[in-house]
Amino acid sequence: MTTATAQTTQVYQIFIKATPEQIWEAITTPEFTARYFHGARIQVTADHYQSNGPNGETWGDGPVFEFDAPRRLVHQWRSLYDPDLVAEEPSRVTWEIADQDDGTCLLTVTHDRLEGALKTAASVAGPGWMGVLSSLKTLLETGEPLT
Amino acid sequence: MVTYTRLVDDDRVFKALGDPTRRHLLDRLFERDGRTLTELESELEMTRFGVMKHLRLLEEAGLVVARRQGREKLHFLNPVPIRLIHDRWIDKFTEHRVAALADLKSELEESA
Repeated sequence: MTTATAQTTQVYQIFIKATPEQIWEAITTPEFTARYFHGARIQVTADHYQSNGPNGETWGDGPVFEFDAPRRLVHQWRSLYDPDLVAEEPSRVTWEIADQDDGTCLLTVTHDRLEGALKTAASVAGPGWMGVLSSLKTLLETGEPLT
Repeated sequence: MVTYTRLVDDDRVFKALGDPTRRHLLDRLFERDGRTLTELESELEMTRFGVMKHLRLLEEAGLVVARRQGREKLHFLNPVPIRLIHDRWIDKFTEHRVAALADLKSELEESA
């Protein structure tokens, strides 16, 4: 397989059969995120993003730039969960939820400003975000996380 | 109608992938993401209109996402639909075996 250089802007889209409110709750409340986001307990408020591992260790901690429930969330990303990535510069994650009027929503996740975090870019690329998003979809549509 | 919608989505993905030009476009985006139509067009022996048509089919299948950035329209590879097809037939227990065979294939073919 050819390996691509890490992309400094990454875009992921997925259709999910759920309401915008359900998706919003799933990405902003720790009880939900723990079930599909590598076990991370993520709490997002209007001005702060906090992610903790199963034993309370800090996996993410930073400002929220936009908080427009249930449509748009923009927050800082730092990879505090991995000693190799901690020193890298912060990047940015944008979540957009677009209601499709057919019982589904189009969820777009854009991870950008990764120019100062190339190792993070490589680690979240492909399977990283895809795994999280397909697991989120499975959880919302079936009530069970992807095994 | 969940199943039906899902089948239609899968059909679009398979149809989009069933064409060498469109796979080539995805390969280019895999190498470097966020390209303009002009950039993509310059590497293909095809009219601008032809490339646009292929990009539109890829967008409809959800494999390419176009985003405006300033005055430019940039195209990004969205691998999620392929991942969902992967998840449907390959679970985490068989994944290792499949990956081992895929690695073996590429190793043998590279050394050949």
